[in-house]
Amino acid sequence: MAAPVTERQHGYISSTLAEARVNLEIETEGMTLNIGPQHPATHGTLRIVVKLDGEQIVSADPAPGYMHRGYEKLCEVRTYPQVNTLVNRLDWLSSFSNEVPFILAAEQLMGIEAPPRAQYIRTIFHELGRIANITLFLGEMGLQLGAMTALFYAFRDREHVLNLMEAVTGGRFHPNYDRIGGLKDDLPKGWIEETKAAMKKIRDFCDEMEGLVMGNEIFNARTRGIGVIPQHIALSYGLTGANARASGVDLDLRRDDKDIAMAWKHADFKVWTHPDGDSFARYWVRLQETRESTYIVDQLLDGLPSGPIMAKVPRIIKVPAGEAYVETENPLGWMGYYLVSKGDLGPFRCKIRTASFNNISVVPWVCKGVYVPDIVTILASLYFILGDIDR
Amino acid sequence: MGLVEKGKIPKPLSHLLNLSRKYSLWCYQWGLACCAIEMGAALGAPRYDAMRLGVIPLPASPRQADMVIVSGTVTDKLAPALKRLYDQMPDPKYVISMGSCANCGGPYWDSYSVTKGVDQIIPVDVYVPGCPPRPEALLEGIVLLQQRIGKEDMAERWRGDPIVVG
Amino acid sequence: MSSAETETTETEDAPAKDEARDEVLALIKARLGDAVVGEHLIPGVDLWVRVSVAEWGAAARHLSEAGFTFFDYLCAVDWSLSPWGKSEEAVATPVAMPADPKDLEHGTTGGETRFQVLARVYSPQRKIGVHLKCDVPDDSLTVPTWTDTYLGADWHERETWEMYGVRFAGHPNLRNLYLPGDFEGHPGRKDFPLLARHVKPWPGLVDVEAMPGEPEEEEGATTDGEAEA
Repeated sequence: MAAPVTERQHGYISSTLAEARVNLEIETEGMTLNIGPQHPATHGTLRIVVKLDGEQIVSADPAPGYMHRGYEKLCEVRTYPQVNTLVNRLDWLSSFSNEVPFILAAEQLMGIEAPPRAQYIRTIFHELGRIANITLFLGEMGLQLGAMTALFYAFRDREHVLNLMEAVTGGRFHPNYDRIGGLKDDLPKGWIEETKAAMKKIRDFCDEMEGLVMGNEIFNARTRGIGVIPQHIALSYGLTGANARASGVDLDLRRDDKDIAMAWKHADFKVWTHPDGDSFARYWVRLQETRESTYIVDQLLDGLPSGPIMAKVPRIIKVPAGEAYVETENPLGWMGYYLVSKGDLGPFRCKIRTASFNNISVVPWVCKGVYVPDIVTILASLYFILGDIDR
Repeated sequence: MGLVEKGKIPKPLSHLLNLSRKYSLWCYQWGLACCAIEMGAALGAPRYDAMRLGVIPLPASPRQADMVIVSGTVTDKLAPALKRLYDQMPDPKYVISMGSCANCGGPYWDSYSVTKGVDQIIPVDVYVPGCPPRPEALLEGIVLLQQRIGKEDMAERWRGDPIVVG
Repeated sequence: MSSAETETTETEDAPAKDEARDEVLALIKARLGDAVVGEHLIPGVDLWVRVSVAEWGAAARHLSEAGFTFFDYLCAVDWSLSPWGKSEEAVATPVAMPADPKDLEHGTTGGETRFQVLARVYSPQRKIGVHLKCDVPDDSLTVPTWTDTYLGADWHERETWEMYGVRFAGHPNLRNLYLPGDFEGHPGRKDFPLLARHVKPWPGLVDVEAMPGEPEEEEGATTDGEAEA
């Protein structure tokens, strides 16, 4: 044992130590984390290669393509009715909405328009698809953040809408109901009353979600201020739908596109925007939109004209040569089909502009510097469907 | 259990073991595409509840799962991941292929990037046809699988005989 | 932007004058001048403008400054014909194709090369979109990039590269988006075969039966040509 440290030595040692501030830069290697392709938080098979520095993300690089089925090539070798069947499966939650722009593009090239009753029913189904899609989102975003109850409610209330679609078309989703020139069948008896009752139930569901999920303070803490996308970025990346409207971009093709052969111009509805641009805003906008959709359906049902549901079209459809592009406001965003026809039985080139493709291309930009749990929040709030991204 | 391998288990006991296995299937959901929504409706929704059959869709990882339901299109890019996750599951494991994409390629039979049927990669026990199959159809597929498990000879499985597909 | 028909109930043959799109076309011509080599305007429907490839990047900048801040999409079109027929049925007897790309049938606004790049931008104020096209030079297959003007063009150009093999000069990260790294070929091209169809051809195109009272159609009838579900 050394000689006991005197008071003076003690003071000398401690003052030297205090000055010798050794700053050890603890070198940690950044970690590359693979989120997906099989992961409960990605809706399907999206893989995001994330480079981490501790808990913060340095770069996030989505690698889509695990559901790439080659739609554009497949459309070139199929006839128009076959393409219609195939195209249902892009945004597989609101399948009818995928058929609509394709059929409208083909009708534009043929120079025909569906009869008014068919246009109304198409619009009603488009809105029903929106309700079916977004109710699942409202429940699923809760699930992603850990609130499983919301998902069960969502599945339960979605069944009402799926029943309606099945009553008319025979398919719960993938109705394959639209035809060039009109629709396949007319509405069955009693459907209108059932739809109005179902819309009331959906409105109750929205109120429930508003209190249950949006009113929850954990939800608020996890989503407010997370994943803010400013307006100019939203426009530059081509974000559409609720993602754009939640950033304050006031774009809604249902209101802006006056020439489209659908019945939105006959309904009076409000377009909801939110200035914040964060994840909470995206949830909020979608919830309001669902409620607004129920009002649209009610109005259109009240004003439903009678008449034929199919225009006069030849048995074998040959669309004249030309190019047409039709875009509609689908639940996920803007979906459009660029149809190049050479007068054949099927398209020559069918470029499918899907909403989720642009919506997810913003992920590298928005995920810089966020924490790992927030990436789940951001992905959940951007809301994509893999079939829509990967086609 | 040496008895099981040698096939010396008495019938009532193997029946009991099969019974306990088939009514407590932990199902690993490989939900890829549209069929995943119907699978979610079948497993998670209150109407077509699959938990009443004993199928619990909650394993956190493949290593805790008894069976996997492949629902949706399998692409060539995803196939290695599927094989790896299947290999990670412990025996005895079962596969239900749900939907026509997983059965045979489905509407994308001529695509350049789709695996024409998941049985090209992993052995399948039950095929549930449909595009998408109704949740009731998936429940029927699960019931068929349970009937099959009930009749299974555990000795063959424990000995590790290769699973014959076809 | 989209619309169904130009005809209204009042006029039958004369389409309405589309002032908004006329103004946009005039604006583009004023800014780009000689670079505009083709145009096509359907009043009330859509506007297509073909620009020369050298000014492709400049066109994006001019449009972005002119208020077309929303980037819709970018893709490519392969105007050649498939050597095996449209549904890849005639595998044994290949279809003849014109040798010179100039002889291929191009769509609106014409064209001179096999590939054309097609893009669309939208103006949130005017609520009008414009389609831009440009020919891809056959020898270099390279086109300037749009990523410095529109950030969203990143993924679209990557997808166009992997589907058609069109390079984008100046793109920071031109690699495959959808396909695995070892995928050979560019599937979007018309001469990329769908092998499943060659191995087992599709049994029939359309289920052809005349309506009662109608004459028979030309196409041969098939026994089991049902659409897949």
